[in-house]
Amino acid sequence: MSNKPTHNTSSGELAGFVRLNEGIKGVVLIAFQINIMALNAILLAHRAGEVALGFGVISKELRSLSVELTGLMQELSNDAYLAVNLISDLLRQERRYRLLKKATDLVVNPSPALRDVMLRREEEFSLITHRVRDVRLRLLDRLEDARKLCQFGTAISRSAKIEAAYGREYGRALAEVSQEFDQKIQNILPSIEALCTGMQRR
Amino acid sequence: MKTAQTIYQEGSHRWVVIARDPSKPDCVIDTNEYLVSREGDNLLTDPGGSEIFPAVFAALSTIVDPMSIRYLFASHQDPDIISSLGLWLECNPDIRCYVSRLWSSFIPHFGGDENSLTAIPDEGMSMPLGSGQIEYVPAHFLHSSGNFHLYDPDARILFSGDVGAALLPPEEDELFVRDFDKHIRHAEGFHRRWMGSTEAKLDWCERASRMKIDMLCPQHGSIYQGDDVMRFINWFAELPVGLSTFRHRR
Ligand SMILES: [Fe+2]
Ligand SMILES: [Fe+2]
Repeated sequence: MSNKPTHNTSSGELAGFVRLNEGIKGVVLIAFQINIMALNAILLAHRAGEVALGFGVISKELRSLSVELTGLMQELSNDAYLAVNLISDLLRQERRYRLLKKATDLVVNPSPALRDVMLRREEEFSLITHRVRDVRLRLLDRLEDARKLCQFGTAISRSAKIEAAYGREYGRALAEVSQEFDQKIQNILPSIEALCTGMQRR
Repeated sequence: MKTAQTIYQEGSHRWVVIARDPSKPDCVIDTNEYLVSREGDNLLTDPGGSEIFPAVFAALSTIVDPMSIRYLFASHQDPDIISSLGLWLECNPDIRCYVSRLWSSFIPHFGGDENSLTAIPDEGMSMPLGSGQIEYVPAHFLHSSGNFHLYDPDARILFSGDVGAALLPPEEDELFVRDFDKHIRHAEGFHRRWMGSTEAKLDWCERASRMKIDMLCPQHGSIYQGDDVMRFINWFAELPVGLSTFRHRR
């Protein structure tokens, strides 16, 4: 593997992480909506009493899911910020490397000291490249966690639909809430998938 | 590539100009860098922008080991003056850059920190170089508000930064001014627009006229020598500069 700086990769990567951060904002917004919705559903289940005991449990699950998802997104956002910093640094290094390399190539007999400078540059560069790679792997792990969480969310929002059927006079209200849960979760999944593919493509 | 040419030599004491880069991108202004060398102590004036660093570095290497540059002097804070600082520090982390105290916390955007930057006080200062001394002469507001020239009393050379600069067409870009009247036309627009203060200009002209200057070396354009030095000072003293000389309002 070559550690020689190449400008295009880094600037493309920078754009990728900036997009990731935008995507995260969208997921956080939906997670917030799920949280509020789940809170209302818990209250509704409380009013409905015994017929909605199962529904209440599921709503609590969804609420903690939204909290967990928000936390996960916060961590992703921190990593994306770290990656943007690292890549900005990489871009600076690449520019310096390019100019130093050009200088070295123009000098007829570059001194060993100058060669050392170039070697140090390359080492530094490969160090940062590795750090960016580590951050990306961590990001992918967290995105995978988020995806699993959403799949779990899909499953329990389906259970909520079933539970709603036992709700007697509250049945309709509960069915509406469970329908909304399902929709919100379905909205998040494609965003998470898009974030995953966006990161994997690099 | 730029070429290096010795313009003064007395024993190990010498001035070398690095100028005229035919391969530089057209969008980048051409600059002159000067190496002042005395008993192996090497100083580079206005080392230039980062894009021309390779050309300066390579031209310098035909004269001295560029890694042996110990001091940089930045007449002011412009990118064409000192944006290469980070690259010079890569080559030699011990390099010291002298710049007006006004800019010592701005220049780190190009590289360096309090360890690599020495702030020159407003009144100027002198500094040993080899067995001699050089002086940082105040030239504030010409054009930068924190601006210095470098005077070498033994060589009788004044490095004058943007003062004396000319934007020369390629067919007239000789290293030394040959025909003052013809040359100065290319300096006029630059001085009118860049130099904002008549008061600062007259103060500098008065001080410069009392100095012993054999060569006045600007950062852009040709070098003035002999009688052309005084001719330039007189011309500059007479030249209207600043806001009144151009229309900026509709
Ligand atoms: Fe300037
Ligand atoms: Fe300049």
